[in-house]
Order: sequence, then C-alpha cells, then structure tokens
Amino acid sequence: MGDLFSDYTLDGFFDEVFEATGVRPHYRGVVERLRYLSSADLERREVIRDGIFRSAGITFTVYGDDDGIERTFPMDLLPRLIPANEWDVIERGVVQRVTALNRFLEDLYAGEQAAVHDGVVPRWLVHTAEGFRREAFGIAVPHAARCLVSGVDLVRDHEGTYRVLEDNLRNPSGISYVLENRAAMTRVLPVAFAEQRVRPVDHYGPMLLRALRSVAPPSAGENPLAVVLTPGVYNSAYFEHAFLARQMGIQLVEGRDLVVDEHVVYMRTTKGLERVDVIYRRIDDDFLDPVVFRPDSALGVPGLLSAARAGNVTIANAVGNGVADDKAVYAFVPDMIRFYLGEEPILPNVQTYLLWDDDQRAAVLDRLGELVVKPVAESGGYGLLIGPHATDEEVEAFRGRITDDPRGYIAQEIVALSRHPTLIGDRMEGRHIDLRPFAISGEQVEVIPGGLTRVALKRGSLVVNSSQGGGSKDTWVLQADAPTTRSDVSATEREV
Amino acid sequence: MLARLAENLFWAGRYVERAEDTARMVDVTYHTLLESPQGRVSQSWEQLLEVLHLQQLYGEQPIEPERAVEFLVIDRDNPGSIAACITRARENVRSVRELVSSELWESVNDLHLTLRSRDMRQELLDQPFQLLRWIRRDCMTIYGVASETMPRDDVWRFMALGRLLERAEMTCRLIDVRYGQLESIVNASPRGPAAGAETALGAGRTDFHHWTAVLKSASALEAYRRRYRSSMDPADVVEFLLLEPDLPRSVVFCLTGAMHQLEALSGGAPSPATRRLGRATSSLQYRDVTDLFDVGLHEFLDGVQDQVGDVAETVASEFFRHQPTGAMHAIAAG
Repeated sequence: MGDLFSDYTLDGFFDEVFEATGVRPHYRGVVERLRYLSSADLERREVIRDGIFRSAGITFTVYGDDDGIERTFPMDLLPRLIPANEWDVIERGVVQRVTALNRFLEDLYAGEQAAVHDGVVPRWLVHTAEGFRREAFGIAVPHAARCLVSGVDLVRDHEGTYRVLEDNLRNPSGISYVLENRAAMTRVLPVAFAEQRVRPVDHYGPMLLRALRSVAPPSAGENPLAVVLTPGVYNSAYFEHAFLARQMGIQLVEGRDLVVDEHVVYMRTTKGLERVDVIYRRIDDDFLDPVVFRPDSALGVPGLLSAARAGNVTIANAVGNGVADDKAVYAFVPDMIRFYLGEEPILPNVQTYLLWDDDQRAAVLDRLGELVVKPVAESGGYGLLIGPHATDEEVEAFRGRITDDPRGYIAQEIVALSRHPTLIGDRMEGRHIDLRPFAISGEQVEVIPGGLTRVALKRGSLVVNSSQGGGSKDTWVLQADAPTTRSDVSATEREV
Repeated sequence: MLARLAENLFWAGRYVERAEDTARMVDVTYHTLLESPQGRVSQSWEQLLEVLHLQQLYGEQPIEPERAVEFLVIDRDNPGSIAACITRARENVRSVRELVSSELWESVNDLHLTLRSRDMRQELLDQPFQLLRWIRRDCMTIYGVASETMPRDDVWRFMALGRLLERAEMTCRLIDVRYGQLESIVNASPRGPAAGAETALGAGRTDFHHWTAVLKSASALEAYRRRYRSSMDPADVVEFLLLEPDLPRSVVFCLTGAMHQLEALSGGAPSPATRRLGRATSSLQYRDVTDLFDVGLHEFLDGVQDQVGDVAETVASEFFRHQPTGAMHAIAAG
C-alpha cells in the first residue's frame, strides 16, 4: 500500500505541513491518519464529500451558459491547520487593520477627513480611486462599522510570515464555502476532526445578524428588520446570498422587492408594504440606486441612497468602501493604523511600489520581469502581470501601460507563497495557498476562526481565485498550540 | 411572503399546467386527424393555434402538421411551447427554492433537463404519442410530488391558485379546439354553411370518436361513461367538462378549488379577487348549457376565459403589486 506523501517534495518553498526535519508538530495527528489511506478509502471519502456538496446545492454559476450549469468549488480532503498562537497574531492583526479602515472611511465620508488633511493619505489619490463615491458624503454609519463584512487576504512568505495581500471591503464572498467545507469535513474525516479540538465556525450567521441589527438607524426601534439584497439568481454568488439569508433567518430580496417612499424603504409582501431598516447588500455600488449611480441599473432601488442619508436605513457594507481597497491606497493602510490607532501594524503589507513616484517607477521598470504588477481597481485575479511567468511581449505591454497610466497600477515584490500538500489524483503534491479570514464589524470587530483557504490547483500557479481555477481547504484553527500526536496508528485504527 | 416570490409560485403553477394541457391538446388534435380527410389537417392545426392565441407568433408560413407540432412542443421561440413553459416553470421554482420542498425542485429540474437532452424533433416524428404521454405524466408527477411534500401554507396556495386558474382556461380551450374543428367542417361544406351546419351537427352528434378523444384528453372518459353510459351527446360532454363539480379538470371544479385557495390567502375576508371569482363561478354554475350550441359555444367559452383572466389580474393587484401611497413619483422624477 502506498504512502500518500512518499514522493512529496518541498522545492524550496515554505511548506505548511513539513519542515526540514519532518512533519510540523501540529500536523502530525492528521498526517498520520491520512498517510496510509488506500485509494479506495480516499475515493469513498471523495464520494461522500461530493454527495454532500451536490445535495446542498453548493455551486457557483458559470457565466455565459444559458443552461445554467452549476459547478462545485472543489474542496481538498486534507485540511489546513492553524495553531492557536499563530491564529492569535492573525486575529489581532485583522481586527487592528479593519478597525483602522473603518475609522478612515467614516472619517472620510462622514467626519473631518483628518488622514487626508494631515497628508497621511494623499487627497488626490483618494479622489482618483475608482471606488471613491462622492455621493456617500454625509452618510454616517453607527459604530463606524462601514466594513460590516470584510475579507483580508493573507499570504505567507518564504519565512512563514503572514502578510496582507489585499483588503476586500466591498462585497467579499466565500464565507458560505467556509461553513459548508466545515460541515462536509466533519462527515468526511470525523475522527481526525474530533481529535484536533477545532474552533467552531457555525456561529457566523447569528454573529452577522447581530452586527446588522447593531447598525440599524435609531429610527428603527427595538426590533429592526434586516434583509439580504441580491442581484438575483443569475449572479455567480447567488448560492451564498441565499445561504446567508437562510443562516440568519431573514428575507432574501431583489431590488424590485424594495420600494422607497418619503425616504423610507419598504419591502413588497403579499400582505402589503413592510418597513426595512438594514440592508446587507450584495450588489455593487454602481448598481445600487439608479437615481444616483448607473441609471440603467435594473438591479437597484431608486431613492435608496437618499433614504440612507435621511437616516432611515443602513446600507451594509457602506457605499464608497472601494476607495480603501484600491491597491494603491492599500499601501497607506499601515500609516492609517499608526495615525488612527497609534499602534504599529501587527500584519505587514507586501512590499509595494507606487508608480506615480518617478524614482519608484524607474526602479520598477528596470526589473519588471521580476515583479508582480496589478491594476489598482481589479479583483478576482484579473489583469495581473507575474513577471517571471510572463513572455517578453507581455512585459513590454505592461511597460507601456504603466508609462501611460502610472496611477492605474502598482508593483509588488513576488511573494513565494507558502505551499500545502494537496491531493492531486491519488497522491499529495505541494500547491500554493492563501487565507481569507472574515471580519465582522458591529459594536466591535470580530473574526470568525479560520476563513477560506484557497488553493491554486494548477502546478506552480500563484493565482488562487475560484474564477481562475482555484480550489479550497477547510481551515482548522486549533484550540491548542501543538496538539497531541499519534505515531502509533495501527491498521485497525485507521478510521479517520 | 415577498410579493415577487408569491407571483413566481403562481406562475410556476400556471406554466406546468400550460405545458401539460398543451400536450393534451396537441395529442387530441394529432390523433383525431390521423383518421380524417387530408383537407382538414391544416385547418385543424390552425384552429388549435387560434384557441391558444399563438397564430400571430406562428407567422405567415404554411401550416403543416410537422411544423405545427414542433412549434407547439419544442420551439423555444414560442413562449407557449411545452419546452418554453417548462423552462420558465423551472426558472420560477428556482427563484423560490428556499420555499418549496427539494423534491418539487428536483422534479421540475429533472423534466427541464430531460427535455434538453432528448432528441425531441426525432421523437416527435417517430412517436409523438409516447413523447406527449411522457410529458403529461411528468407534469402530473410534479403536482403529485408537490402535493405529497408541501405543507398547505401560502406557498402551496399561490402555486395551486395559478394551476387551477390556468386549468380552467385551458379546459375551455380544449373544448373550443374540438368545437372549432366541427365549425370548420360547416364552413368547408361544398353545399354551403347551411348544409354544412347540418353535416356538422350530424357529425357532432354522432361522431362518437371525436368527442371520445376530447374526454380522453381531459382524463374524463371513464367518469363520463359511468355517468352517461353509452350516450355520447356533445351537449352532455360540454356540460360535463364545464360544470361537473367532482371532475378534477372541469371548469367549475377548478374555479371552486381556486376559491378555497383565495379565501385562505385573504384570511377569509371577502376581497376584490374572491368577489370576481365568485361571480364567475356562479354565472357558470347556474348556466343552462342545452342552448349553448345555438347561441355560440365559442363566444361563451371566450367569455369564461375573459372572466378567469380578470380574476388573475385582480389577484395580481391584490397580492403582487402593492404600491406606496406617497411621494414615489417625485423620487423617480428626481
């Protein structure tokens, strides 16, 4: 019988499971349980997993397919483990970062713009960010919880240091995979799971609902009504919208279900109009309110923004958050943390070069083939240049684009993303991963233990996005620093 | 419940019913024509397109049987085709997946996917009877599954209401197809309409075979026989299909059932929709049908369909289209 890890190589990368001397202590239990599984055993577990995902309808729609083919987001059988001491750093770092971002955004849209006045973030940079929305001026959010849900993408570099790759402050998706991956893993590897004492994630729904209700406007009274606003069944993340509404036990609505009258938002029901106090919207700013933004949007609600300004409804996440996840503004987040909180950042950024600066641009253009270049307003892994993987023509094309529009791009040092053994066929191979922890802002900022670990399934690829052929892993935050190990697993005990 | 979802449930009910009844009508037309003179064939298909209000969409092209059947069964450019109805039913059920049983979703989705994967053009040429019977049975399976898996709450009621109102209209059309085909014999008679009328009357009164087919397509033949024994009088058939209170596809049965659903939806209080439906039902229930053939059955059936259409409109404004009373227009204009 083969060993799943027998030909496993590190190739000089930081590996989550193996160090030079063998399996890292906190992974020993899981690795020993999985190491000797036969291919029949693995297949049986894959069948269980696929059945769970299919029957739960956990799928995303592939655009441009009018038959509505729905695919599943592949979850690897080997989970990613984070020991308590590592998680503690991540959690404190994410809370710190999101708190500063909330403060910056509230100050920018509904305060005195101190960071801009004091030159911490250049005013022109803010005003030229694609996600900046003048229309949001004067709309305050209770507790400054503007990033009600945020996803802070983290990577580990060659030394194992967690670094922030980007902030997702508009409509981060993926939490449904976190919850469903967990539900599936507890059935696929029940014994291994039980041994590890993993921190639970299934309180996300109640946590989100509590936060939504905490940002209701004062006019809402004792029992505010919150809804989830979706663009509809054809949106690729519709499953998640429906899932979240179900987890919270609140109504999933589309724009046409809502109507604004005298600056108050109502939901159309069979029994008449019902007042809505908080909207967890999963529609982009541009489509939210055709009166203020794109007039051709049929997804939004005319008059919604004026209702928010009148203090009759809270929109979460707040309008205009995109200014802070602009990838050039990202470079200033460590300074925001120092400015608003008087603290040093716990989680460092990736080394980033700003290309409107003549010196930085010249240095970048000199070694373009060694760097990553990203458009500032894109997400989802679109439009990247990864220097070492690019052809000469691609590098030259980016040289031209940067020269034409230096504000439109940033350059970063390549991070040799950490790798994690991943089941490819019937053996383990190293694949690059990242981590998206989800933070919820209400009266305070909380982080759900773990988050979405994304895997670049293509060998050597550094791009983990689901739209680019990525997979996922269940992410186990352990109660302990290093769990007990089991090196004496006998054949009869191999039920995992 | 959200008004939009209620409306989608209502339409899901309508679309599945429309698909099923279209299958029934195509089947009865196709099979009665197998034993008819050649000349009447294209006229009969034209009649069917007319009662389904699909003539315009069919366009100017000559009405050939193969083309007409394809148009009614699989043509996706025809929103009334069986395939299009099932696709729309699926879209509607998909939007309310959170509200209906997963068994119901699966049964609708299965029918949709099977319709997509089969080579229906070939099947229509080879075995139209098999295909149409299979569609009918799958549509009935959908109702059976819904009936056995869903609680009798508003979700169920809106769907049942849509189905019953659609069926009431479609039963009228089913009678009308047959009757229209008889009328066309009248006009086509070489000795003129007067003589044709006699022929038609003769044909109508004696053509056991054709009226049998109508009853069969409404799954009503056995019940009719138990009631009327061997007599096959068109007036009896029409009365049976319109007024028989215990026959699941009779118009009165559908309207009475729709009334139960509507009353439960409005919490028992009279509403514009219940009043309209009540009027439509009682005007039908107390109608003496013996003279219907003389006054014009076609016009009468049109009148019933109009009344049912009015009820559906009233349901829409009562449950699906609540409007705020205030300054909507000012905002929209701003």
